[in-house]
Amino acid sequence: MDDWKPSSLIKPFGARKKRSWYLTWKYKLTNQRALRRFCQTGAVLFLLVTVIVNIKLILDTRRAISEANGDPEPDQDYEEALGRLEPSRRRGSGPRRVLDVEVYSSRSKVYVAVDGTTVLEDEAREQGRGIHVIVLNQATGHVMAKRVFDTYSPHEDEAMVLFLNMVAPGRVLICTVKDEGSFHLKDTAKALLRSLGSQAGPALGWRDTWAFVGRKGGPVLGEKHSRSPALSSWGDPVLLKTDVPLSSAEEAECHWADTELNRRRRRFCSKVEGYGSVCSCRDPTPIEFSPDPLPDNKVLNVPVAVIAGNRPNYLYRMLRSLLSAQGVSPQMITVFIDGYYEEPMDVVALFGLRGIQHTPISIKNARVSQHYKASLTATFNLFPEARFAVVLEEDLDIAVDFFSFLSQSIHLLEEDDSLYCISAWNDQGYEHTAEDPALLYRVETMPGLGWVLRKSLYKEELEPKWPTPEKLWDWDMWMRMPEQRRGRECIIPDVSRSYHFGIVGLNMNGYFHEAYFKKHKFNTVPGVQLRNVDSLKKEAYEVEIHRLLSEAEVLDHSKNPCEDSFLPDTEGHTYVAFIRMEKDDDFTTWTQLAKCLHIWDLDVRGNHRGLWRLFRKKNHFLVVGVPASPYSVKKPPSITPIFLEPPPKEEGAPGAAEQT
Amino acid sequence: MSRINKNVILALLTLTSSAFLLFQLYYYKHYLSAKNGAGLSKSKGSRNGFDSTQWRAVKKFIMLTSSQNVPVFLIDPLILELINKDFEQVKNTSHGSTSECKFFCVPRDFTAFALWYHLWKNEEGWFRIAENMGFQCLKIESKDPRLDGIDSLSGTEIPLHYICRLANHAIHLVVFHERNGNYLWHGHLRLKGHMDRRFVPFRKLQFGRYPGAFDRPELQQITVDGLEVFIPKDPVHFLEEIPHSRFIECRYKEARAFFQQYLDDNTVEAMAFRKNAKELLQLAAKTLKKLGVRFWLSSGTCLGWYRQCNIIPYSKDVDLGIFIQDYKSDIISAFQDVGLPLKHKFGKVEDSLELSFQGKEDIKLDIFFFYEETDHMWNGGTQAKTGKKFKYLFPKFTLCWTEFVDMKIHVPCETVEYIEANYGKSWKIPVKTWDWKRSPPNVRPNGIWPISEWDEVIQLY
Repeated sequence: MDDWKPSSLIKPFGARKKRSWYLTWKYKLTNQRALRRFCQTGAVLFLLVTVIVNIKLILDTRRAISEANGDPEPDQDYEEALGRLEPSRRRGSGPRRVLDVEVYSSRSKVYVAVDGTTVLEDEAREQGRGIHVIVLNQATGHVMAKRVFDTYSPHEDEAMVLFLNMVAPGRVLICTVKDEGSFHLKDTAKALLRSLGSQAGPALGWRDTWAFVGRKGGPVLGEKHSRSPALSSWGDPVLLKTDVPLSSAEEAECHWADTELNRRRRRFCSKVEGYGSVCSCRDPTPIEFSPDPLPDNKVLNVPVAVIAGNRPNYLYRMLRSLLSAQGVSPQMITVFIDGYYEEPMDVVALFGLRGIQHTPISIKNARVSQHYKASLTATFNLFPEARFAVVLEEDLDIAVDFFSFLSQSIHLLEEDDSLYCISAWNDQGYEHTAEDPALLYRVETMPGLGWVLRKSLYKEELEPKWPTPEKLWDWDMWMRMPEQRRGRECIIPDVSRSYHFGIVGLNMNGYFHEAYFKKHKFNTVPGVQLRNVDSLKKEAYEVEIHRLLSEAEVLDHSKNPCEDSFLPDTEGHTYVAFIRMEKDDDFTTWTQLAKCLHIWDLDVRGNHRGLWRLFRKKNHFLVVGVPASPYSVKKPPSITPIFLEPPPKEEGAPGAAEQT
Repeated sequence: MSRINKNVILALLTLTSSAFLLFQLYYYKHYLSAKNGAGLSKSKGSRNGFDSTQWRAVKKFIMLTSSQNVPVFLIDPLILELINKDFEQVKNTSHGSTSECKFFCVPRDFTAFALWYHLWKNEEGWFRIAENMGFQCLKIESKDPRLDGIDSLSGTEIPLHYICRLANHAIHLVVFHERNGNYLWHGHLRLKGHMDRRFVPFRKLQFGRYPGAFDRPELQQITVDGLEVFIPKDPVHFLEEIPHSRFIECRYKEARAFFQQYLDDNTVEAMAFRKNAKELLQLAAKTLKKLGVRFWLSSGTCLGWYRQCNIIPYSKDVDLGIFIQDYKSDIISAFQDVGLPLKHKFGKVEDSLELSFQGKEDIKLDIFFFYEETDHMWNGGTQAKTGKKFKYLFPKFTLCWTEFVDMKIHVPCETVEYIEANYGKSWKIPVKTWDWKRSPPNVRPNGIWPISEWDEVIQLY
């Protein structure tokens, strides 16, 4: 570049010699036209090069930028693909911001269709009675929740009120009645329906049909109602067709601070409804709990398997209590979901836990049993170092000292071969029969409901002969069979560390739950120090029992054991009663006694060599089966064991479920 | 307009455009090389200065992992090799007293670290922090192979590799997962469709070409080039493992298909046999490992692994292969010490050696010794009654790790070829009657032992 110099304007400088050289050069230059031409061409060429470099630069920059943005593009594709799967066909018809919703209500069938896609259809007989409620996302049209409240039955309307109150304002609510939905629809519920703007809902009568679409806190978008003409007949089927305008996505979301936790929360809350304050815009309930760590936690590295089905609300409640328990380590938790259900997986993701789905195998009890097997195998595969696993179910509350309880007792499983499991659940631990959170028992039955499984037991004994899918067995009944249990026992606390709250389930219904589970005692005291844990070992426990029996006061056997006065009104005493038990499997009198004590009487639970231990009126109460129990030797000769006659068998007695 | 004016204009134009050109060239180099990573190859870095990009990237990465409690340790073969060379010196170096950057400043494209996934407590948010620190990271995930063995489970994907780039150096973080059988496993680095294939020169990566298996290392903390890092306590052992770490997964899907066709034998006897065979295999593996003898699953046991991911219940014995050059004379006594007496011994070390040990419950442990020729391998057989010799030919093979009955164990990498040599193309069909002298397609008669040698080469107990 420097060799081309402008010819005239620059004054020559330097030595004279140089100047003359310059002049010569200049002279030559100015006089040679051809050379000047050449220089000009050179300059033009140079300009051309600059232009080319410029163009290349622009092109390259654009390419680099498009590459940098390259990643999001597949995502957009993915989202588009998802969009097509949505019930609404908005894409097909351009930017239409309206959903057409069809709601049908009749005696034997209900359905709801959104933009032509059926999102609810129920025409099963003897099922799905009551008010069906669907919640749609007001921005996307996604189904966020689907519930049915059998408001023909008591208390269901309360559940409905609870649910509707939890739904965020602005959501689209759809209600439709199948069969009958008014019998136990109380004033509170009717008032709520009125506040939603419904005309017919608050006036819903016996066997009326009713379909309703409205925005929570906003306008009613459509409603149809047909009265039942007579007690014995139903209202005419109604079909409601209405357009629901969609709002913008921003309106549908809350403005939480941008943190990792809130990102999880946002993802969750834009998909599902009915989880209350977790999605509250103003004051959302925390989803991280950070309970106090447990000093010297022996179960910190024990994997926790949560066995779940499709009861996401239960799972939500369960995981909250689990993650709040002292000494929990979230990365050890795996939730196993039986089936490809989305909502339980959403709940798992909300808490940032690991979730694994399981293709259902077989049916009913066998399906549960196969799910258990796969879950346990997977747990030990994922944590090959683990010697134990904690097994939980989705319908349990977990006590705040659950891990503390296990940490204090888990060494027993290692040191005592005669143990089968440690369980957090005492089958006989009801409000009126359990007292001492520091006390542990040995029992011959396996209670389940929050328990610890030894890996060697599973890998060497249970897994190889686990019931195959075609055997419709309950896994827990199978585990309780003598072939599996082989005389081994489980450690349980007097006051349970888990609480069974599920009232919907395979072997469960509201009546059954009320009778056998609702009044179960559940420990809420943190950091309970267990008493004398080593006395739970095989030999030591016998010594302990003999000591207890020796100091126990023998009750007055002439009194009726079912009467409250059978035990004196004392506190802190130990009493013993002897009942008749001819053989190891003769539980006639025990079952009658259990029945009148209002404890578990459907099969025998909580026994240890013909001995039961429980609390009555704050006194420790021992029951010994004579003569089958080896502790019969403690019976004073003058005492005649109590015998209770079983009631005569009634035809068609309600066949209660056998177990949980 | 004079000519001079024209010239002046031309000159001015040229000056401005050259200024522009200079600026553009500078910008072009600066901007695009940063964007494209084209500069990776240019990183010469000063050899002993702490200002090299490698050292800075590693330093930043170590700061990141220690602040976020990410359990990582150094596995880079190049650096481990260097550290190993003057191990004593490295060990004695106290913090920060290094004057020269000897290890992390060696020019290379990657530094490889392992992430001990099992010990990782707070996975979330780590990625974002790395990106805030200036790293550009790529995460490679896949489904969890530990769930593959179980019917019908599908879980959340697990991370297999992270590649984090800072300027023109990249940290390759290999995720090590705990597996059943007391070992660590890392996955195959497979790029998915949308990933940038030019993110880093993937071909130069030291790990991830195949899945790998490693003994669980003990770790120690040392200071290298002023940086505190964890490395395996026994770097030599770890370095030896790297070239032979290739891992192959059992073919669970095919095994399930097999059981759908032929149904599993779940009788009490079959289960008892499986349990005993498993215990025998575990005992044999433990014994041979203690001796430092390499071995692999052979014959029926290998077929059982490959075809059904389990022990074939009617196979009646456990078969292992050992290269004759790995033979040690104390094998027999070691097995005797763990309660496995010698049942018979055929052949001799120079020719057709075969050992059989008596396990409990009448299960036999057969060990075949393999001899290597230029184009094939073979092992020998001897008929006790007649002294006839047989030769079983196999195409050449190398050894890979796999997981079988809760153990990390060797199998031939070229498994199909191995099995087809032994059992023919129809190995997929279960056969219960098998004559080891006639049935295998790879058997060749190999003469007869001279009677004078019988006492040595045919020993029955």
